[in-house]
Amino acid sequence: MLSNKSKLSAVGLLVAGLSPLMIAGMAYADSSNNYGPFPVTVKGYEGSATNSVSYSGQIARHVLHDSLKKLASAGDGGSNAKAAEAEMMAYFAGSDKNKAIISPASKDDYQIKQTLMNSLSKGKKLSNKSYKGVVNGWPGQMTGPEVLEFMIKKAAMTKGGFDTSTGYNYPQLISKFAMGAVFYNQAVDNYLDEKLAADNKPNSKPYKDGKHYTGKEHVWDEAFGYWGAAAHTLNLSAKESYEVAKKKNFAVSDANGDGLIDLKSEMTFAHAYYASSFDKGGKTNYLHTVTQAFLDGRKLITAANGEALTDSERAKLVAYADVIGENWERVIAESTFKYAGSVYKDITKMEEMLAAGEDVSKTFAKYSKHWGELKGFSMALQTGKHNLGETAVKLNRLIGFGPVLLNASQVTGIDSNGDYLKDEALSWGEYKLHMLKVQKLMIDKFSVVARSKDQTANMEALADKLGDSDSAEND
Amino acid sequence: MWFLDFFSNIFEHFSDPKKRIFLGYIFISIGIAFFWLILQKKLSLRQAFWKIFDKKVFFSKSSKSDYSVFIINRIFTLFISPLLLTQMAIATIIFHLLHKIDLFNVSVFLNFSKVWIVLQFTIFVFILDDITKYFVHRWMHKWPILWSLHKVHHSATKLTPLTIYRTHPLEGIVFSLRGAFTQGTSISIFVYLFGNSVDLITILGVNIIVFTFNIAGSNLRHSHIGIRYWNWLEYIFISPAQHQLHHSIAEAHHDKNFGASLALWDWLFGSLHHSTDIESLTLGVDGSENERSHSLHTLYIKPLGEIIFYSVEKLKILKISICQFGIRIQNKFYALVKQ
Repeated sequence: MLSNKSKLSAVGLLVAGLSPLMIAGMAYADSSNNYGPFPVTVKGYEGSATNSVSYSGQIARHVLHDSLKKLASAGDGGSNAKAAEAEMMAYFAGSDKNKAIISPASKDDYQIKQTLMNSLSKGKKLSNKSYKGVVNGWPGQMTGPEVLEFMIKKAAMTKGGFDTSTGYNYPQLISKFAMGAVFYNQAVDNYLDEKLAADNKPNSKPYKDGKHYTGKEHVWDEAFGYWGAAAHTLNLSAKESYEVAKKKNFAVSDANGDGLIDLKSEMTFAHAYYASSFDKGGKTNYLHTVTQAFLDGRKLITAANGEALTDSERAKLVAYADVIGENWERVIAESTFKYAGSVYKDITKMEEMLAAGEDVSKTFAKYSKHWGELKGFSMALQTGKHNLGETAVKLNRLIGFGPVLLNASQVTGIDSNGDYLKDEALSWGEYKLHMLKVQKLMIDKFSVVARSKDQTANMEALADKLGDSDSAEND
Repeated sequence: MWFLDFFSNIFEHFSDPKKRIFLGYIFISIGIAFFWLILQKKLSLRQAFWKIFDKKVFFSKSSKSDYSVFIINRIFTLFISPLLLTQMAIATIIFHLLHKIDLFNVSVFLNFSKVWIVLQFTIFVFILDDITKYFVHRWMHKWPILWSLHKVHHSATKLTPLTIYRTHPLEGIVFSLRGAFTQGTSISIFVYLFGNSVDLITILGVNIIVFTFNIAGSNLRHSHIGIRYWNWLEYIFISPAQHQLHHSIAEAHHDKNFGASLALWDWLFGSLHHSTDIESLTLGVDGSENERSHSLHTLYIKPLGEIIFYSVEKLKILKISICQFGIRIQNKFYALVKQ
């Protein structure tokens, strides 16, 4: 017989023993909705790995990008230009050293598991994975990596990454363009495109000799990694995923309940973050649509159990890839739409302040920041699988090479020394019209729905209030 | 399913406060009619009831054709409406144009108070709507081609609230374009000047001024209840009896009282006529009330025939004029050659 005291102790031990399981169970609301773990299906694999999911290289590039964005504002106006440039290049073009993770970094009670780049993946860089085509939205007829390097050099010479003489906000330009040139381009124009072909990285062979994942498993995982969603995204609302990226909701971020945020699986990055920002408005569902398509595709590949995919399985996979590509593109188009609206609003605000004789320097900085985001996203939109043709031409011409400046000039090109050339710009009224046209272009060509900062929304709301103009009333 | 849209469109006309024949407005109009007949015309409640719900009016050939046209036109509306220029299309064009010409510094207008802007917009929309209705209506009477269409409305010999829909579909297109133009213009100019501060004061989702006119018995304009206003008020607002006079066949009443809500335009442009007792009026185009004048053929096809006939006649005149001009040139040429 156990004494009462012993009974209590036994219950206590039982509760204590079960608690971690209960907490883990709560954290994984539905593990079948998680992107991984998935079993090893490679035929003849003799290693000890039990989980075939692997996209740490992509997470490393997200972290390189986040860190590079932070460093882009490290310039002090010229004196530290060389050092600032070297530091940025270490994250952009790679480094032999085990560099520190500058962002995302721990803060207060929000502890991040990894602090050094090599703890994610060794030897990764952004430069060799950037869009190889010519970037028509930026002066100089440069390729993707050339544009990013050019911007890095310019950023190093500015104070805080902002060049008042051109209105360029480099952290925004670099970040928004790199997200497209690296993540979007690599995913939709490489992994979800030619690498889905039957004879390219087949599912019946390991990705590379000795690897514990098949060709198709890894191709699919790498594309998912570039999307930037946390592995447990489908258990979270769009708002929660947004808070994960903003480091504002530790409880939902820490999926395994270990008290640390694992960047490899518990963080929202890049376009997945932008998708969540639109989806939390309730009009769209980009984040879950894309993530679900990735998960469904991965389950399909896993179910093939290391055999080559049949034509019908591959057709299904291509259909998932199309859903992913289409929605991903729309997320970038929604962002372009939003920042065209912000630029419009900023110009109106500056016009108002100038008329009142007020100092516009802060608003101008805000305008430049928004313009940098607009430009970066619009350039990113052109790095996808399809040549946007006339849409790209219109987009680049409407936005121009630089924001319209307070002295009514604008960057129109670069000379042989890499210095910017400026010329007379459009009036602000006309430039605002260009922003409206950018928004209309995004509606017409990409069917954007969230339409954040819609500058004609008020007109539509008024038209609704006034009612149909088609009534045939004979007064 | 187009027929579901069709039924919901009909239902909407009675349930949507933006529509003239919204049941709420109809009930209020009936109430006003009772007051008028009992207090002004000294009828008993029973007499007033039978006067208002006069079966000779509501079951007349004219009214029956109104009902048919209302139903048939809903089908036309379903198919024609999507093809028409919308107020948003016009608003967008004007909005873009305003940015392009960049005529004045918009920021000047951004400091006005929200209340002032909303009030101005509400009044502007109403005034622009009312004055354009006046002019379009006037042209409907003055231009032969348009009159061929508008005659369909005037062929009603009895007036009921549904007579406002006794409209040829082509005339409906003209009205729709007018509406799109006025709304598109108002919206674009105000949003350009005042940004997101622009709004409309509404009751039940309807412009407060339009709502006021509708609860003030606008449905009685097309009715057999001849409510008249004081003489001075009929210079400002059109009374139901003034509009009923507009439907009179008497020559003295032709081309009078084109206004929709305000009589000001008629007064300003010389087409105002004060009301008379409706009992003394004969309504319609030629006073006849035979089967044919209310037939669907007369209402839908005949106007098209008239327009074609009129156009052919005009072309003949043009051809003769061109021939005469040619002969004159030829004669002059011969005269020059002879010299």
